[in-house]
Amino acid sequence: MNMHFKKGIWLTGFATLLAACGGTSSSVASSTASSQVPSFNAENNIVLYTRDTTSGTRDGFMGGIGFSAAAKDDNLLTEGFIIADNTAILTAMSGSDKYGIGYVSLSSLNANVKGLTFNGIEASEDTVLDNSYGLKRPFNWMLRADGDFPSDTVENIAKAFVAFMTTIEGEDTIAGAGAVALATNTRWDDIKSQYPVCDQDNSAITVRFGGSDSIEKVAKAVTASFRPRCGNFVAEHEHTGSGDAWKRTNGAQKDEAVGKDVGFASRNFTAAEQVDLNGTALPSEQLGQLAWDAIVAIVHNDNPLSNVDADLLKRMYEKAAANPIRTWQDALDAEAAL
Amino acid sequence: MKSKNTLKKVVDKIVENILFGTAILSASFIVLIVIVIFERGITPFISDNDGLGQVNLLRFLTGIVYLDGPTFLSNAYGIGYLIISTLYNAFLALLIAAPIATLTALFIAKIAPRWLGNLLRTIIEILAAIPSIVYGLFGAGFILNVVYNLSVSFGVQSAAGFSVLSTVIVLAIMIIPTMTVIAEVAIRSVDKSLIQGSLALGATQTQTQFKVVLAAAKSGIFTAAILGVGRALGEATAVALVAGSRRSGITFNLFDTTATLTSTMLLGMKETVGLDYTIRFSIGLVLMVIILLTNLTLNFIKRKVGRMYA
Repeated sequence: MNMHFKKGIWLTGFATLLAACGGTSSSVASSTASSQVPSFNAENNIVLYTRDTTSGTRDGFMGGIGFSAAAKDDNLLTEGFIIADNTAILTAMSGSDKYGIGYVSLSSLNANVKGLTFNGIEASEDTVLDNSYGLKRPFNWMLRADGDFPSDTVENIAKAFVAFMTTIEGEDTIAGAGAVALATNTRWDDIKSQYPVCDQDNSAITVRFGGSDSIEKVAKAVTASFRPRCGNFVAEHEHTGSGDAWKRTNGAQKDEAVGKDVGFASRNFTAAEQVDLNGTALPSEQLGQLAWDAIVAIVHNDNPLSNVDADLLKRMYEKAAANPIRTWQDALDAEAAL
Repeated sequence: MKSKNTLKKVVDKIVENILFGTAILSASFIVLIVIVIFERGITPFISDNDGLGQVNLLRFLTGIVYLDGPTFLSNAYGIGYLIISTLYNAFLALLIAAPIATLTALFIAKIAPRWLGNLLRTIIEILAAIPSIVYGLFGAGFILNVVYNLSVSFGVQSAAGFSVLSTVIVLAIMIIPTMTVIAEVAIRSVDKSLIQGSLALGATQTQTQFKVVLAAAKSGIFTAAILGVGRALGEATAVALVAGSRRSGITFNLFDTTATLTSTMLLGMKETVGLDYTIRFSIGLVLMVIILLTNLTLNFIKRKVGRMYA
């Protein structure tokens, strides 16, 4: 009985090993066999991937294709869509789902997926800046009102920070963090004399940053780059969503513990967010844009589709489209007609 | 003499009260949790929700569309379809896991030689301790692929493997270790005289295992099932990674995407505010009620079944 079980365990282990090795070798076999079998069957249905309704990227994508109503409403989307986060969409397009389509931020685009051109234009830093690539959203910043900061020093540092974002060093940092920085000619050294607060030792001063979590990576990169240039102040980051940018600098939560000195939003500020709590319009120095974030529609590398426009994407994503595109053959036909 | 006795009595009384205190403390946590969840969860139904209006309770419990209208602008939440799919997924997982767990427990307790039994028991206990996120990652990295290829071979196009089948497989893998451990204890504690009596009467080993041992351990195996279903109903992270986040409609098709109460609570929780955030407490409240009802029902059935083999 004992030997019987020992043999059983050895056999199971051996078989698992074979299966594991067999798995890799069979994939080699299948890739050579694929030249004889069509690897992309255009008769298959399109599987739609989208972000969650609270995502800024979804906001940007839906707005860009003329379907803003769907930014917050799942019921307008075609049946069978999958809600996933950025990483899950990339993973699906890079391997597991040949018949899917999704969208990601330009900064997350990698060679494992195929980025589609928009109106014939490929997404890149240059095409975003010269406005030829249309599928993009702004990264905006907002400050508290003058005199509303915890101290004059914090106010001066915050204003210096905003100025830094428009210098070459700032824009380099922003670009390095994955966003498309706006063009500029100013160097920090040229303007830092206007901000004497940066010559002091600010290591006891805390400046609070918050707002969009899509911008979190960029914001942290910029504060990390700016701190040594401005007395090593302490940068406290708490990114909870674009909606909190105005709310925590000029809105209902600004005086609470969660209040912030600088807020970021990955969309344009709404009309309600461009005024203070009394309804007075915020002065132009209190808000602005730091970068663009381009959104790219992606498909699997084996997918023959390569160019789309807003209408084509909308016809895919919209449940009640007049002329819906539901299979890949429909999509390829529509692409040919562009 | 008398003072020594009273001293002992006093010490006893103090220790009793301390133990009573700790018991109350433990129980109070569940009361605290229920109170907080209840307070937050009831709010969408009785308050104005910042101008959006009260959420309709009947629609909430029976609706088949998660949200009718844009997020942050609508109060038309409905989780009826989620209740059904949560129960469907959990019980399907139980259906797969229960036989595997029971038979594994039977093997470990009764058939395996001591060294093998100990080895398997250790492996199962380690599996039971693996965190759910790891199961979720395993599901996302491996099970999705398997189910996708399976669906293609059936001629159905599944969306990258996100489906009821993936969810059920991951849940089953998660609850098998827990159920095996409990069932194994139950099987091991079956009275030896029952087994020997059966063998003496001429029954074969197999007949004894299935007709006597399992029957006698039925109550313990049922407990294992109850705990397994409880874990399956409450699983959030692993399910969120393989389910596909269905937003409307009831489906029993194995290759359709699905969602559960827990995975829906989890999705988008970081970025949301207002009613969309508070409604998750309401979903949590409904989930707690469902788990309570399921436990009560299964316990009732267990008592009825247990009575047959006193």
